[in-house]
Amino acid sequence: MQHLRHKQPRATRREVLAGAAIFALATGLPMPASAAGEAPSPRIALLLKTVAQIVIPRSDTPGAGDVGVGAFLPLAFAHGLEGTREPWRGAAAPGLLRADGSLRHDLWLDQELNRRAGRDFLALPPAQQAKIVAQLDAEAFPAGPPPSAPSPWVAIKALILTGYYTSEAGASKELQYNLIPGRWDADIPLKPGARAYSSDWTAVEFG
Amino acid sequence: MDYEFDAIVVGSGITGGWAAKELTEAGLKVLMIERGREIVHGDYPREMKAPWELPFRGRGDAQRYKRDHAVQMLNRHFTEWTEDHFVNDRENPYELGPDSAFTWFRSYQLGGKSLTWGRQCYRWSDYDFEANARDGMGTDWPIRYADIAPWYDKVERFIGVSGASEGLPSLPDGQFQPPFALNAVEKSVREKVSARWPDRRLTIGRTANLTQGKEEEGRAPCQSRDICNRGCSFGAYFSTQSSTLPAATRTGRLTVITDAQVEKVDYDPATKRVTGVRWVNTKTRERKSATARIVFLNAGAFNSVHLMMNSASEAMPGGLANSSGVLGTHIMDHANTLSAVALMPGFEGRTSFGNRPTGVVIPRFRNLDKADGDGFTRGYSFQGGALQSGWGRGKRQAGIGADFKRDLRAPGAWRMVLVAFAESLPRASNRLTLSKHLDPLGVPQLEIHFTHGAGEMAALADAKREAAAMLTASGGQVLFGMDRPGPGGTAIHEMGGARMGHDPKTSVLNKWSQAHDVANLFVTDGAQMASSACQNPSLTYMALTARAVDHAVGLIKAGAI
Repeated sequence: MQHLRHKQPRATRREVLAGAAIFALATGLPMPASAAGEAPSPRIALLLKTVAQIVIPRSDTPGAGDVGVGAFLPLAFAHGLEGTREPWRGAAAPGLLRADGSLRHDLWLDQELNRRAGRDFLALPPAQQAKIVAQLDAEAFPAGPPPSAPSPWVAIKALILTGYYTSEAGASKELQYNLIPGRWDADIPLKPGARAYSSDWTAVEFG
Repeated sequence: MDYEFDAIVVGSGITGGWAAKELTEAGLKVLMIERGREIVHGDYPREMKAPWELPFRGRGDAQRYKRDHAVQMLNRHFTEWTEDHFVNDRENPYELGPDSAFTWFRSYQLGGKSLTWGRQCYRWSDYDFEANARDGMGTDWPIRYADIAPWYDKVERFIGVSGASEGLPSLPDGQFQPPFALNAVEKSVREKVSARWPDRRLTIGRTANLTQGKEEEGRAPCQSRDICNRGCSFGAYFSTQSSTLPAATRTGRLTVITDAQVEKVDYDPATKRVTGVRWVNTKTRERKSATARIVFLNAGAFNSVHLMMNSASEAMPGGLANSSGVLGTHIMDHANTLSAVALMPGFEGRTSFGNRPTGVVIPRFRNLDKADGDGFTRGYSFQGGALQSGWGRGKRQAGIGADFKRDLRAPGAWRMVLVAFAESLPRASNRLTLSKHLDPLGVPQLEIHFTHGAGEMAALADAKREAAAMLTASGGQVLFGMDRPGPGGTAIHEMGGARMGHDPKTSVLNKWSQAHDVANLFVTDGAQMASSACQNPSLTYMALTARAVDHAVGLIKAGAI
């Protein structure tokens, strides 16, 4: 399914469901839910992939857009990961709220980035795009105490990181993944350049 | 009367498994009844799944959780890997009394909470068994440390507890396997705390994870994964499946029924004995019953009490074995909060390998030989540990792009966490009652009345100060701490409701976990507790279960029951 998503980030709902069914057969797990009627438009799919890749770009390992985070985000938004289906308390332009009062983070991001760009964000050169996302990010994480009403970007960024570092490449190539360490070494030197373990569950949980 | 079984055990969790093992090994023919589904040891479908193999990457479907697991999802061990090891709250409702808050975390399945427990194993001391007598809260325990010590020995040897002997009067040493080691930061904090406060000791958590395999029992040593709650096909942590169930099964005298919710314990007023139990198959709704010479209730503290209340009869209108009227009262948890988190500079060149399945503990130091608690008479202890942060730190930081990615590649700064568990005082007003509302099977729901008291608040205020003081003295920079507990149930140490005591007028059980009113009824899970101490309680439940079985078998052999 990674392969499918990677090649076809604009997969139709039917294709996503087909992929999900294969996933379920292969793993014996319940079929993953879809983005529940919120399958992204081609534009939103491209936007999410682009922004994910800006946050975690390609280096000697793939970037977040490369590993399907663009496809993970609509699923995560629709199913409320990182609190994205809680009632939105901030100001929001009409058309961005669901019937349950939660914010459509994908649509907000599109609108916000276009507003900051003064035109179509996706039409900007990559350096300009990165600059705008950096500004959005800096304002969402100001120095000092966190703002009382967090920017929707905080949840979006958290889900980009989640999507990346829980992908096979993010978890096991960018970081190290070891399901069965087999021993506990309590106190050893940390070698320069050592990569953290994505399978250090407590560290991941507590950030 | 001809009984179908010598003994019926209701529940298959930590104490139910122990009751079944001990009863069958004593030669009794036993029926163990579990309300949840069967889980076969080794058949843990998500145990080995990588995050990328799960639809929601291990985080789970938050929308579905809100609908079906509104309470269970608040447990930090509830994840996409473990969700099948916790109940569906919609299908298993309970009520709260006015002004009450209680998150009731439950695991209805073969093995019960033995599959999901925190595995911390601590003995009680006489500071704990004498606590009620000393400050007059609750009723005196009818037992002391000497009564339970040999049973602690037996349980620790069998389940396998790793830990370090420290010679502390408030936390007696046990029969330990070799301990997991402290990491660089914890070693330093241990030294600095001991130097400044000679009566305080940071030691490794005593945990039911094997550091030496028990090959004869099919149990391998811990693989340092720290994903125990998914189920461990290595059998490295104690669960019913890994340990007591195979032992009981080997005797050839155990019958197990799953998907069977016990609705009533039958009582015969002529003989003043219970005669067996009735249950409903949760899938087919078929109703069945069985008879036995003795009955052990091990359904989990609140559910054993619930069953006794629902077993009211003409002869016992206030509930089974409730002539005292205290059934359901004096329930407890521990008042539980995050007392301090500190950055621990100076260890940047050190790290660890593997995932240790336990943290550290700083045992109780307050109100031992002198009354030094400011506004509280009991104690608290800390659990926690030092860890290097992972990629999750990126969620709280500004930054994007190549530099950000590079930064998150390395382990983050060392931090140390101390979580307080404060003793919960036994109060009559904290109690279980039957609700007017019925569950989906038509059984009256349990209603939980619970608030933390002023003593617990004072203990946590002290814990916050002392945690900050110890971490600061150890070179840490305290980031934050809390002194308000989570709602009742947060510690998942719910207990009491059928307390043990000397006096049948003020307690439900005698010193053998045997009902004062019904000689062949034993309640050996958390319901029997007369006080809560501040230690994780499961080891004490197991020891009391083994002790109760020994007594019951003696009574049977003597023809007394």
